[in-house]
Amino acid sequence: MNDLSPSTLLVLVPLLPLLGAILTVALGRVLGPRAHLPAIAGIAAAFVVAVTLLSGMAREVGAGGTGHDHAAKPVELVTTLWEWAGIGTAAAAGDAARSFSIPVALRLDPLTATLLVIITGVGLLVAIYSIGYMHDDPGYPRFFALVSAFVFSMSMLVAASNFLLVYVFWEAVGACSYLLIGFWFTKPEAAKAAKKAFLVNRIGDFGLAVATFLLWMTYGTLNFHDTTLADGTLVPGILGATRLADAHAYVGGAIGTAICLLFLLAACGKSAQLPLHVWLPDAMEGPTPASSLIHAATMVTAGIYLVARTAPLFEACPGALTLVSIVGATTALVAALIGTVQNDLKRVLAYSTISQLGYMFAALGTGTLLGFTAAIFHLVTHAFFKALLFMGAGSVMHAMGGVIDMRRFGGLRRVMPITAATFLVGALALAGVAPFAGFFSKDEILASLHARGWPDAHGEHHEAAPAGGHAAVAGTFHLVSVTPDAAQLAGGTRGSALDALNTPSTWRLLFWMSLATAALTAFYTFRAVFMTFTGPTRVPEEAGHHAHESPPSMTVPLVILAALSAVSGWWLFSTHALASFLAATPSFTAPAVASTATPPAFHWNLAIQGTLAAALGIVVAALGHLGRRSDGPQMERFLGPLETLFANRFFFDQIYSALIVKPLELVATLAALVDRRLIDGLVNAIAHVPVAVGSVVRHLQSGLVQRYALAGVIGTLLIVLALVARAMG
Amino acid sequence: MTMNLLADVVAPAPLVIDGLLVGALLFALGLVGILARRNLIVMFLCAELMLQGISVSLVSWSRHHGDWGGHVLVIFVLTVAACEAAIALVFVLQAFARTGRLDAAAWQSLRESNLPRTIDRELPSIDTVPPKFPKLAPAGVEPPADEDALLEREHV
Repeated sequence: MNDLSPSTLLVLVPLLPLLGAILTVALGRVLGPRAHLPAIAGIAAAFVVAVTLLSGMAREVGAGGTGHDHAAKPVELVTTLWEWAGIGTAAAAGDAARSFSIPVALRLDPLTATLLVIITGVGLLVAIYSIGYMHDDPGYPRFFALVSAFVFSMSMLVAASNFLLVYVFWEAVGACSYLLIGFWFTKPEAAKAAKKAFLVNRIGDFGLAVATFLLWMTYGTLNFHDTTLADGTLVPGILGATRLADAHAYVGGAIGTAICLLFLLAACGKSAQLPLHVWLPDAMEGPTPASSLIHAATMVTAGIYLVARTAPLFEACPGALTLVSIVGATTALVAALIGTVQNDLKRVLAYSTISQLGYMFAALGTGTLLGFTAAIFHLVTHAFFKALLFMGAGSVMHAMGGVIDMRRFGGLRRVMPITAATFLVGALALAGVAPFAGFFSKDEILASLHARGWPDAHGEHHEAAPAGGHAAVAGTFHLVSVTPDAAQLAGGTRGSALDALNTPSTWRLLFWMSLATAALTAFYTFRAVFMTFTGPTRVPEEAGHHAHESPPSMTVPLVILAALSAVSGWWLFSTHALASFLAATPSFTAPAVASTATPPAFHWNLAIQGTLAAALGIVVAALGHLGRRSDGPQMERFLGPLETLFANRFFFDQIYSALIVKPLELVATLAALVDRRLIDGLVNAIAHVPVAVGSVVRHLQSGLVQRYALAGVIGTLLIVLALVARAMG
Repeated sequence: MTMNLLADVVAPAPLVIDGLLVGALLFALGLVGILARRNLIVMFLCAELMLQGISVSLVSWSRHHGDWGGHVLVIFVLTVAACEAAIALVFVLQAFARTGRLDAAAWQSLRESNLPRTIDRELPSIDTVPPKFPKLAPAGVEPPADEDALLEREHV
């Protein structure tokens, strides 16, 4: 591939899965049971290309080296394919920054390269797994077309170098998710879940749309990268090198906070954070591979990507950044509590996904380089072990004839040993047991929170971290033409109301919440493991007599992912490869982020606390569930009224139903009444006029030619009379 | 008043008034005939009568004004009337072939569907036995009979 430039390769990553999707759609019926071939070929080729790009980028980062002050040089590669929309290119030179131009541009940087490998890699394993899982489904080609289309959309989402393109593919992944949740659309629950996911996501999408408008109003461009106009004027992109080099280039205050909060809203929708998390557990109605790929490993991390990508914007608004952490840690805790009493294996994993995404948000909110890299690190390891756990759950479901309720089976380690072993590896990684992957990423996250809660313990420059951006106000950047209103708003005090949250005591609370979540995570994970795989062997009658280990196409991806879940954390942590690689991401080289860089360290005290928390959870789970029949009395009975609260998922669905759904339904009923009675009534009334006239006039058509002639004569006479009367004056 | 107007214009020329009177008479006769008679041929003749009434008026005016315009127009009218006669007779023949009658009221089945049939005076029913013509031996499949057509074609 030496003859291919990196730009071409970057375009190939999304293009190949797109071709795969188109071919699958076009040839699906012809290929029949081999319909997976174009999709898998496309994704596999994209994976190879993505790995090539990643290694190339890693060499470049290594060659660039880090400066003496830890600040890595930004590394980026921008490919502009064509201009999608352009208005006002002939604008006056003084207003050059206002010319509206939306190029279809892709940007490769360490963050994008990492995510591309994860998306195509996990996508490839899931696609291979689906050959076995979906083998006799009537919608077989449709499934692979959708998975391929999803990989395309997601690759574009992380590679796009423009907020409008990000928005487009933000919607595209949402559409793929909708189609895959509702894959078995004849099943009412699946159709309902798909609708719910789509509608809840609209709220977040609305936030992203408004944030994009505000960005355009504030910065005069939507591009990430710097662009040069025809007359040589440089338009600094929002996340371009020019603006990143300037410590005061980002707007804080009310406008900046508004943008960041809208981004947070968007991220909450897509990444299922409180209070928009309600769609993800229901999304488990979709096929398990789709849950694995979209609703665990990749799509739901789009929110993490968005916040990480816009890190410099968030740095200018410390209050918003704190809120990111608060939302994340709260979600992590609430979802973990709900997860402890779920009996549906996939739902346990769904709540665990929400909880782990909350962890990532908590880390992102710290606003330190350590926090950002920890979030992405956890994203990577989570993609491995959560995809593994979901595919293991799918393997169980496949063998149990579609039954996923953990109370109805048990002791499956004797029936399906490979699934059991790989699931255990995934569970250990999720619970954060050393030396599995989750341990290291979770340790980094806890460390980033700890550093904000106890800045003295970590010494140096944390207190200066978000303050770098705090000084930035609207209008200081020379090319930004903020309207006077916006400038006044930005100078207002609304942003600082949130800043009051940014105190060490808040961060300490968040740290303890995260640590409690770690214990709960270990508990519900191992509760699921013990209920499913230990105890007397029981198989539901739906499974028939053929409860058996899954075919190799399903177990091989499990084994690969288990290996990754086991070693990736240790490898990435010990070599510090990922963190130093990600530090060269342009967004993370902003002075506000880069100044928080800390030398790589292993935090023994935190590791011990985390391990103790995990051990506590596992021990409690073992006491309650190890070796017991999973349909017997459960530990939940000790929770008392709390069990009702957890089992009803904190009544979120009921509250939404009462506050939003029911009033809306009332309005809809009223609207329907007005439509049927008033508007339809009017239309029908008008329709009755010709009928009424016709019923009278109809009698004139007697079929008697003499009458017609008489009518003609009378008419002529009338005309003549009228003419004569006029002539007579 | 109308007559006064006419008299003012044509007072010195009684011949014109005579011609116009004849023309009007012919036109009125034709009009009454069209409105009152049900026989298609008679109705057609009445239409011709109206046409000729107009022609007489035209000729009279032409003569009165001393130009040839009216005469030329009448020649055209005659020509057109000849053509129209040929076409109208074909229609009459076809109508007869369909219904077996020359009665215009036989075509009132073309009326609006849910209106009652108008009967001012029934024609005496034809009680003569239709003549038997020699026929070829029937061959092939008998086409399905249309009930409406049977109703109207019983004598043909």
